[in-house]
Amino acid sequence: MIDTTKIILAGEGGQGIQTIAKVITEVAAEQGLDVSYIPVFGVEQRGTPSVAFIILSHEKIYYPRFDSADYAIILQKRAVASVLAYINKKTKVVFDSSTVSVRDLPDEAIHSFGIPATQIATEKFTPKAFNLIVAGKLSRVLNLDEDQVWQKIEKLLGKKFKTPEIKEKSRQAYLSGRKYIFELKDFSRPTFQPATGKIIIKNAEKTAQILPERCKGCGICIVKCPVGALKFSDTLGVFATPVPEIDLEKCIACGNCFRFCPDGAIAVEKNKKLK
Amino acid sequence: MLSTIPKSWNVKLKPHLFCPGCGHGITFKQLGFAIDGLGIQKEITMGVDIGCSLLAWNFLDVPTIQTHHGRTTPLLVGYKLVKPKRIVISYMGDGAAWGIGLQNIIHAAYRNNPVTVIVINNENFAMTGGQSSYTTLPGTITPTSPVGKSPELGAGFKGPELIRNVAHKDAYIARTTVTNPIHLLSTLKKAILAQKENNNFALVEVLSICPTNWKTGAKASLDMAFEMEKTYPIGEVK
Ligand SMILES: Cc1ncc(C[n+]2csc(CCOP(=O)(O)OP(=O)(O)O)c2C)c(N)n1
Ligand code: SF4
Ligand code: SF4
Ligand code: SF4
Repeated sequence: MIDTTKIILAGEGGQGIQTIAKVITEVAAEQGLDVSYIPVFGVEQRGTPSVAFIILSHEKIYYPRFDSADYAIILQKRAVASVLAYINKKTKVVFDSSTVSVRDLPDEAIHSFGIPATQIATEKFTPKAFNLIVAGKLSRVLNLDEDQVWQKIEKLLGKKFKTPEIKEKSRQAYLSGRKYIFELKDFSRPTFQPATGKIIIKNAEKTAQILPERCKGCGICIVKCPVGALKFSDTLGVFATPVPEIDLEKCIACGNCFRFCPDGAIAVEKNKKLK
Repeated sequence: MLSTIPKSWNVKLKPHLFCPGCGHGITFKQLGFAIDGLGIQKEITMGVDIGCSLLAWNFLDVPTIQTHHGRTTPLLVGYKLVKPKRIVISYMGDGAAWGIGLQNIIHAAYRNNPVTVIVINNENFAMTGGQSSYTTLPGTITPTSPVGKSPELGAGFKGPELIRNVAHKDAYIARTTVTNPIHLLSTLKKAILAQKENNNFALVEVLSICPTNWKTGAKASLDMAFEMEKTYPIGEVK
């Protein structure tokens, strides 16, 4: 590691940006480095950028602000704007290639590396473990001790690991991040796009329509279906959460799913009789 | 053709900005159907407050105004004076209605100003992170009541019941819930008609769900909304 490393982490509220930042800075501090960490986020729950400014140094840090980052970690397309000013031609830019395209990055980002964190987390572990994959990779790049980092994650997130199973999956996700080797690839298209278009299912009596691009995976339709005709499928919706699928044989076309869906993503109708 | 949404929704701007499973979305579904059903989309002007309700500034395909916290109702009262043919809907959270903007609602109800007020009662200050509010039930854990809200802070603020005492005799005041979309729809229709047909003040409190701040899944959210009905009874508030 060079003497001083300046890192900027950028994403959106709810992505666990500040958790990654805490893990990295606390472990670095325990390893005897001088650290500074400034979190920047809004009070709002959704949709606002969450950014962390970090400095790790073998020397004394006198001022926590910086103008250019050595590393910029970008985990959400909409957060790019808030870090533009800190990226120059020397900055190593790491981005979630499952949801961000290189085209979303500024021209200065000539050293850019994609890691499909959302995709790996969803397909292999749990969607929530996405930030642990990033934490794994970043801690490796920064030469932070593998066990020490995991212990810190356990300490900070312990409560969220409700079962030993979730904990183990999270640990595996973290380790897979550590082992991940950046590939040279064409990152112009995000690999993990929610399904688009309409899913239309028909039988003799009923027609159902489900719109993955609107479904947020809340599960209300499933809870409100009186006959258990709905369950989550493998198709992904707009937030990369599963979309319900329908068993038309069971469905009684009561309309509950349609009435309750807060996002207008599902409807079932009896077919009109043709005369 | 089978449609998943009301005609009055601004379809180009969907998915909307509310969280997954949010009661605002369920309310707008039925509000949309109420507007479609009465055929009045062209006559509506919406006003949205501060709080999560502001996320609805582009929800419906109707002219929409957004203003200061708690001030949506007086803004629309003024607007209606200038444009009496418009049907105005003042949409806000419980914090806006029963806290910072309470005086505005009291006077609009007292004067019987022809506006339809919709109050989304999600039992907290949702936009700012789910802090405990007047409507939060005793014992509830929130960021500002980490050991559960103290019963000494009240059993739950009943806004519609308070307004009833000063409201004009012809005002329409009711409570409904997102757990019963059919009741929700008919109540919203009545509240719009009170303004449209009889030029009366109308207020509907909607018991809503906030999975993000309650930290609940679909079933637990709906269960909690049923629980709310014990404190906040559904129906017309007489
Ligand atoms: C005059 C003023 N005071 C305080 C705030 C901060 N503020 C923003 S949203 C909010 C809470 C709104 O709660 P509520 O009206 O219940 O709506 P919800 O977000 O729960 O839907 C507050 C206090 C503000 N924006 N303006
Ligand atoms: S229409 Fe009724 S029975 Fe059919 S899937 Fe929807 S909720 Fe279930
Ligand atoms: S209620 Fe709507 S948004 Fe929620 S899971 Fe069902 S289809 Fe998706
Ligand atoms: S914070 Fe709560 S009320 Fe606000 S949009 Fe999210 S779920 Fe809805």
